[in-house]
Amino acid sequence: MRLPALKDPRTWLAAGALLLTLLAIFVPRIMLQRDAYDVMFVVDITTSMNTRDVKLAGEPASRLDVAKASIQDTLAQLPCGSKAGLGVFTERRTFVLYEPVEVCANFSALHDSIPHIHWRMGWQGDSFVSKGLFSALSIAHSDKADLIFITDGHELPPLPYSGLEPYEGKPGDVGGLVVGIGSHTSSRLLKYDADGREIGVYSMQDIPQENRAGPPPPDAESRPGYHPKWAPFGNAIVNNKEHLAIVREEYLKKLAGVTGLTYAYLGDDRSLANEFTKAAHARSLERSVDVSIIPGSLALALLTLLYGIAAVSAFRSPIRSVHNST
Amino acid sequence: MNLALTYPWVLALIPLALLPLTFAIQRRQGYPSLAGVEPDGLSRAVDIGLHLLGALAILSLLAAIGGLHLKGQTVERVGEGSHVVLLLDRSSSMDETFAGKQATETEASKSSVARELMREFINRRDHDRFGVAAFSTMAMPVLPITSHKDAVLGAVDAITRPGLAYTNVGQGLALALSMHEADPTAASRAILLVSDGAAVIDRRVQERLREQIAKRPVNLYWLYLRTAGAPGIFDPPREGVPDTPQAMPERHLNLFFQSLKVPYRAFEAENPEAIADAIEEIDKLERNPIRYQERIPEIDLSDLAYGIAAGTLLLLLLAKLAEVRLETGGALTRSKAGSTVAAARQATDNETKRLKEAA
Repeated sequence: MRLPALKDPRTWLAAGALLLTLLAIFVPRIMLQRDAYDVMFVVDITTSMNTRDVKLAGEPASRLDVAKASIQDTLAQLPCGSKAGLGVFTERRTFVLYEPVEVCANFSALHDSIPHIHWRMGWQGDSFVSKGLFSALSIAHSDKADLIFITDGHELPPLPYSGLEPYEGKPGDVGGLVVGIGSHTSSRLLKYDADGREIGVYSMQDIPQENRAGPPPPDAESRPGYHPKWAPFGNAIVNNKEHLAIVREEYLKKLAGVTGLTYAYLGDDRSLANEFTKAAHARSLERSVDVSIIPGSLALALLTLLYGIAAVSAFRSPIRSVHNST
Repeated sequence: MNLALTYPWVLALIPLALLPLTFAIQRRQGYPSLAGVEPDGLSRAVDIGLHLLGALAILSLLAAIGGLHLKGQTVERVGEGSHVVLLLDRSSSMDETFAGKQATETEASKSSVARELMREFINRRDHDRFGVAAFSTMAMPVLPITSHKDAVLGAVDAITRPGLAYTNVGQGLALALSMHEADPTAASRAILLVSDGAAVIDRRVQERLREQIAKRPVNLYWLYLRTAGAPGIFDPPREGVPDTPQAMPERHLNLFFQSLKVPYRAFEAENPEAIADAIEEIDKLERNPIRYQERIPEIDLSDLAYGIAAGTLLLLLLAKLAEVRLETGGALTRSKAGSTVAAARQATDNETKRLKEAA
């Protein structure tokens, strides 16, 4: 049997559209590799984080408030399948509030938990930033997660002259960010009473200006009033400006270098997702992606072309001229 | 109906569906005169049908490309359950075993036993919403009351992390109550306190707690994980031990809870089985009607639309393949005496010839 319609391009266009439509039904999903990230957010809740030297929506705000807003913004930008956990740091350790859970399915729960972080959750006033960071790293490591540690880097009491304790973990095992927050110009540390009411600022004498728990510095002998037994640190008043709140970027960069993290400064752009994804270990996730729209659109294009040809041939048809001439 | 499109811009392409209404998939062919052809209802119907099929094919393809779906929605249902705030003790003694020793591989710590049983409890309670608060030296809000169970499980998992120093029950309880206050919905409310010790609650804090509880009554459950040798909740004071909160904080916390005039149950668990029993009991007690939200997922209709498009395209294609050519068809098929159209055409040709001759 001969089919005269086979000579008409419209037949082939219709057949093509049919094939593409069937393709759209039967192979609608392909598997693509997507990156997901596991992250433990740890935020410093020591007193220095109450300093109102940063801005939130144009208004002066405390560092802790901006840090919380930043965690919320970052959460919103993590790809689905990522997991996020939360911890707080004060004294010398990180305390886990919840272990990492999937961000998209639990978004509202995670998002709503952030505003409840408060400096009054702090169980002690000390601020051993390096120890807090190291404990956060070991927690993140046990969760196989990366870390975003938000702090102003204000170590109080100050580090001893022997400097930073060695980091026991393997640098680079845990990826992520050490995030510095706070103004580069100094302001005073706020003082609170036992009930959490703000009662002024700390003066120079209120705050230990140097660490006298460890051995004295090597140049102690040249200090005024030095005595090897009775005054191993000398007797002069030391002012290392420890009572002033200022982001300690140099120190945080050093900590980041020691632990294999990346340092980032929390500026106007509050989302840390970009910096974090560069510094983190991505977990590759197979995700099915619906691509039926591609054969579907092609089928539509063929069908439009088909009727387009019909339209053109209708206007160019010799039939009309035959009718006209007779 | 909750029909929705993922890409609404496809609506702008709807005028494309006018094309098949105007133009046909069949080739336009010349025919000398239609005067001799009788009007045929079936042919008219097939013609209109083919035009409509073309329009339907384009519309269904547009719907499929646009991601037509039935919107997901949340419906409110009534079931059994309540809103429970888990108030978890995160003091470091929770990291020890029931024998008061360091946890080993064979003997789990109190916190990990409590974690497993609470996970089971949370998973079993389908319609409950949970909030999580932790307390040790200070009270710590962890998760506001939520229906996202994974997040709640994440918070419960964290209790096996090393704990802090003290057991500040009073502050923790105040926090749990304020979490209930922050939750506006009407539901049966419960606080499940899981701790392995108690502490003296300051008299002022006691007064505040009484006020809070009077404002919003809750069912109170205390799951006391008793370490070997530790004083029990229900034990009367021994000889020579003064009956004061300082000497017997567990007993006096129990007395305080009893004085709150809300439904209260205390469970003393000295081993994992006892915890399991207690949790079973709480599961039975907390069965009150609750309105809960159920999410009905989105239903994708684009495959259905593609199916309709494929069906119409198949019909169009068959119609197209059934097409015959009038101009050459007759000549080609004459020898095979194939189509009636060719025969008809020949008849018409002869007729024309005859008419011309007559003229």
